[in-house]
Amino acid sequence: MRGLNSKLTKMLLITFTLMLLGCQPSTESSEGTSKPATGISMGKLLAADETLLQYSQVSPANTLEFPQDHQPHEGYRIEWWYITANLTTQNGEAIGIQWTQFRSALSSPTPPKAQSTDLHNNISPKQSPWATNQMFMAHAALTSKSEHYSAEKFSRSHPQFAQVSANPFAIYLDNWRWQSHNNSPFPASLNVESEQFSYQLSLNSQSPWQLQGEQGLSIKSTDGKVASHYYSQPYINVSGTINRNGKTDIVSGQAWLDREWSSQLLTDSQQGWDWFSIRLDEKQTLMMFRLRGEQPQDSFYSARLMQADGSGRNITSASHPNDISMQPITWHTSKNTRYPTGWKIDIDSENIHITTQALNPNSEMLLSTTYWEGPIQIEGTHSGMGYMELTGY
Amino acid sequence: MTLSLSLIKRCLVVSSRHYRQAPIQASAILLGIMLAVTLLIGVKATNENAKQSYGETTELLSQRASFYLTDKDQTGIDEAAYFALRQAGIPALAVIEGIASDPQGRSWKVNGSDIMAAVSMQPHQNGQSSKAKQTTPAIPLQRLLAGYPSVVISDNLIERINALTQGQLILNDIPVELIPIEASLGLGNSMLADISFAQQLLDMPGKLSYIAIFFPLDKSPSVIDSQRNQIIAALEQAGFDSRQVLIDNQDDGESLSALTASFHLNLDAMSMLAFVVGLFIAYNGVRYSLMKRQRLFIQLLQMGVGRHNLLIALIIEIICLVIVGSIIGFIMGLQLSQWLQPMVAMTLEQIYGAKLLPGLWQWQWFAQGLGLTLVASLGACWPLLLQLSRMSLAQGAQRQAQLIPYEKLFKQQALTACILLASTAILFNFTSQYKHSLILLGIVTIAIPLLLPMTISIGVRLLLPLMPKGLWQYVVAETKEIIAPLSLAMMAILLALCANISMNTLVGSFEVTLKQWLDARLHADLYIRPNPNALLDVNAFLDAEPKVTAVYKQWMTEAKLHRGQSNPDSSIPINLVSRDFYSIKNTTVFKSPDNLDESFWSEFEQGKNVFISEPLSIKYQLNIGDKINIDKLSKTTNTLLSTPVAQANSEMFTIGGIYFDYGNPMGELIISPDLWQHYHLPPNPISLAVDYQGDNELLQQALISQQGLSSASMYSQQRIKDEAIKMFTKTFSITVVLNSLTLLVAAIGLFSACMMLTQARLAPLARLYALGVSRKQLRIMVTSQMMLIVLLTCLLALPMGAILGYLLINKVTLQAFGWTIAMIWDWPAYGRVVMIAMLSCLVSVALPLYWQTRKPLISSLQQETL
Repeated sequence: MRGLNSKLTKMLLITFTLMLLGCQPSTESSEGTSKPATGISMGKLLAADETLLQYSQVSPANTLEFPQDHQPHEGYRIEWWYITANLTTQNGEAIGIQWTQFRSALSSPTPPKAQSTDLHNNISPKQSPWATNQMFMAHAALTSKSEHYSAEKFSRSHPQFAQVSANPFAIYLDNWRWQSHNNSPFPASLNVESEQFSYQLSLNSQSPWQLQGEQGLSIKSTDGKVASHYYSQPYINVSGTINRNGKTDIVSGQAWLDREWSSQLLTDSQQGWDWFSIRLDEKQTLMMFRLRGEQPQDSFYSARLMQADGSGRNITSASHPNDISMQPITWHTSKNTRYPTGWKIDIDSENIHITTQALNPNSEMLLSTTYWEGPIQIEGTHSGMGYMELTGY
Repeated sequence: MTLSLSLIKRCLVVSSRHYRQAPIQASAILLGIMLAVTLLIGVKATNENAKQSYGETTELLSQRASFYLTDKDQTGIDEAAYFALRQAGIPALAVIEGIASDPQGRSWKVNGSDIMAAVSMQPHQNGQSSKAKQTTPAIPLQRLLAGYPSVVISDNLIERINALTQGQLILNDIPVELIPIEASLGLGNSMLADISFAQQLLDMPGKLSYIAIFFPLDKSPSVIDSQRNQIIAALEQAGFDSRQVLIDNQDDGESLSALTASFHLNLDAMSMLAFVVGLFIAYNGVRYSLMKRQRLFIQLLQMGVGRHNLLIALIIEIICLVIVGSIIGFIMGLQLSQWLQPMVAMTLEQIYGAKLLPGLWQWQWFAQGLGLTLVASLGACWPLLLQLSRMSLAQGAQRQAQLIPYEKLFKQQALTACILLASTAILFNFTSQYKHSLILLGIVTIAIPLLLPMTISIGVRLLLPLMPKGLWQYVVAETKEIIAPLSLAMMAILLALCANISMNTLVGSFEVTLKQWLDARLHADLYIRPNPNALLDVNAFLDAEPKVTAVYKQWMTEAKLHRGQSNPDSSIPINLVSRDFYSIKNTTVFKSPDNLDESFWSEFEQGKNVFISEPLSIKYQLNIGDKINIDKLSKTTNTLLSTPVAQANSEMFTIGGIYFDYGNPMGELIISPDLWQHYHLPPNPISLAVDYQGDNELLQQALISQQGLSSASMYSQQRIKDEAIKMFTKTFSITVVLNSLTLLVAAIGLFSACMMLTQARLAPLARLYALGVSRKQLRIMVTSQMMLIVLLTCLLALPMGAILGYLLINKVTLQAFGWTIAMIWDWPAYGRVVMIAMLSCLVSVALPLYWQTRKPLISSLQQETL
């Protein structure tokens, strides 16, 4: 799994169902704690109730096929295309880039009959090119050792300005755009422009897709009841330019794509997650996450060690209890909360013993939903760069 | 003389004990202050709110736009322009507006927008500053975006609309679901749909009314230019002809503020009048309570309380009363404004198209109200206090001399009034600005009450010889004595009466003028204003219809007028209008020139002359023969350029005629249809008028069934007249309400004055009773005295109201709105006002009289006299 689970997913879902409904999600919970929270009951939103079951469900029977599965799965509640990149400028400055486009369904594919029990049961939507039950949200960020910029955009789904198209493959929201030349996502260009920063990147990859979990079915709890469809491309070559407040730099490096969709991503008790994408060396990459339960011992761990040829090995709390160890060692305090920005990570079975440090500990994403996302440096048995995402703090 | 805190404190304690014994005195003062502040704050809050709204108008559920894009042809801008802007990353919002009708034929204004974009463009609060609202009002995005026929409205409107529709709202034959959202979201009186439904409802597929752009607001011309260029570049890049698009930048509500300035000034003037009337009451109360305490004060002085200490104590007392009264008045004023605001909002929305934000208030208003009241009351009471402090100690326990030289005072007042009236009469000839006229009007309103005591005094003196000897003569003679104590209350009543009479005259006269103008202006049977994209089809249909004997056309676009070449910077926003020649010739009612000969029309036809509306002429002092140019009537085709070069290239036109226009507060200019075509102005007319040989209804039915027109876009001649009258009555409704409130305040003032007076006269009345005058006679006597005074006041109010009305019509309204109105005197309305005054007076006399008759004679006899 990549990116957004637990709190952030909750927040995203709520962001989608509320922020776009005309409110700003609060960073203060209704209990008045400093945790980013939504102020409304998530249990209700995410419990597997009747409404939820009317959305498409994750299942081992769904085998992933490409290029079809690069396209949106509109029957699922939530989905994303998520790119992070570790780049260097010509001067050797380390730069992190993030771009994400989230999709959210506002209603299930077959609207429940219950909705029309009101006075207006004779009302039905008429066809308009504007009418839709899908909406998009995009996040973008640029991080260096001393700077961190972020921006976001929202839109209804509309073929003219916010959509995912199949051939040529493209994902766009206004002028933020991932554009390929054919039905494959690569090679492609990725352009993002906002007030303080912009980037124009060329993306290319020859490597096979990495299916996370069991053939692209990634479980999020020991019992496997909550899961997503999840695949990645950790081996993307990047070159291009970035612009920070009018100053342009040429950059190159490596990017990582995560694709994930589901209708229910987390259990009621999960608090948030710590997610890592790590380049161990030229050949090997590691995806790992921890879903924090109410108690430390309830946390769910999952990792996949991946090779450039497409092969890999899965390790989860379910299959290998206690094999993965993740310990925060450094904390960063922001205005809103405290984030663990330095970690000690051990996977005994793979002889991985590393520590990670944030390139810029102040990489909080102060958007309609607040979380931490930024590049990290790795030392220990392996050394290199990666990306980290912290939510629910 | 030294000030002593303890002595001042002692004086204050004594005063408070006094008020505890005579609560009516304290409450009369408080009442006056309260009423004055209530009306002042009520109108101020209403006004400020409206003015603030102009500057901060946001797109519905969104933020303030920095630019507006519209289509040059006025057929609605193609939605492709919106796509182009979005693809270029320009923060934009697609907006669509229109009128839909329900089965009862009522018109509903419907707004539509890309609600997702609107909401996501709301002023951004990110994590840093987030003190986000906990109670997040839900906008049912899912339903709206899915294209369901749903509209959102403020929850405080839903009951009104439900009461109106009595069931499901059906617009243009589509049952529409109303979804209430919190009023605090700022929808105001608007009905908002998502664009997916709005385009269908308003029959504008693929079209938008305008596009709002949300660049950071900036005032510097270079930034505005570069933003403008960014917009043009984005349109051009998408292959869109940017010359077809008009780009207007945000003017911070300046044009709206300018347009509505006179409306707000009128309200302000009304509230000041009410404030003054309220202060009259308060002043009367203070004066009375000081008089009642005269002996007390002398006793205090005799006991060694220094004059300064007493004076300070009295000032503190007044300040305390003012503070308490102001606080209560402020709260009541805010409440009043809550009540007035919908009325004002309706007026402003209907006439000026201004949207109002939900109510806000500021502490500064309280400070202003309090300060004004303090200054006014202390200023008014200062002579009284001074007089008190100069009292001779020897006056001692004696009664105050009854007849201080009031006659002399009356004469002085009347003389002052005459001088004031005479000088304003001269000055009025030199005013051309309604603001100056209003100031003069204010002076007249000050002069009028000063005439009153003298008038009543003379009236009574004239009446005296006519009275039979005995009691009746005594009654009239005594009336003269109560003029002085009552004069302030009567002045307040007089002011309120005059204001009422003049406003009634204005409203009545306006209605008659408007009706006459409409009769002349409307000549066709049916007026049609279809959606712009349907216009050509409708036109073709009408041409083919055999019973249609004539189709008249009207073109309109917005333009800017420049006066000569002397002042190229000042541009006046106008509506540029043309009609078919027949309509212009037959329906334009000219103010000047008087004789419309052949050469007049031929010069117009040749495009040498243009006509301007009276409001435009008066507001900007444009007269016949003046040279003007108009940005859209220039040889350079690109109207996006409003540079001086473009202006210099444009042609000069001569103003050939000024016509009456009561339909439009905005300036209007008529050019000949040939000129319109010559300059390639939008070719499609915005409205059509039809002469039809047969039943109007049938034609309307045909247009609805065959052309898909909504009945809201068709008006019969009668319906236009009705709606116009209705709308303009509403314009004045707020003023009429304020006027009635002022009259009410004055009546309350009279009540409190009568009450105090009757109480003061208990002793002489008791004496008369002891002399054998029956209770009934006494009652009749007191009542007729009061009636006499009120009657004389009304008599004075009649000519004075007429003068005020004349000035309101011929100076203020003419200068402020640019409307020439023929003055019509409304006797029944006048009678009504007099009746109200008499009635309120009767009540205010009857009650104290009744109380008096219940008191034992001896206690009345023991009462000290005034």
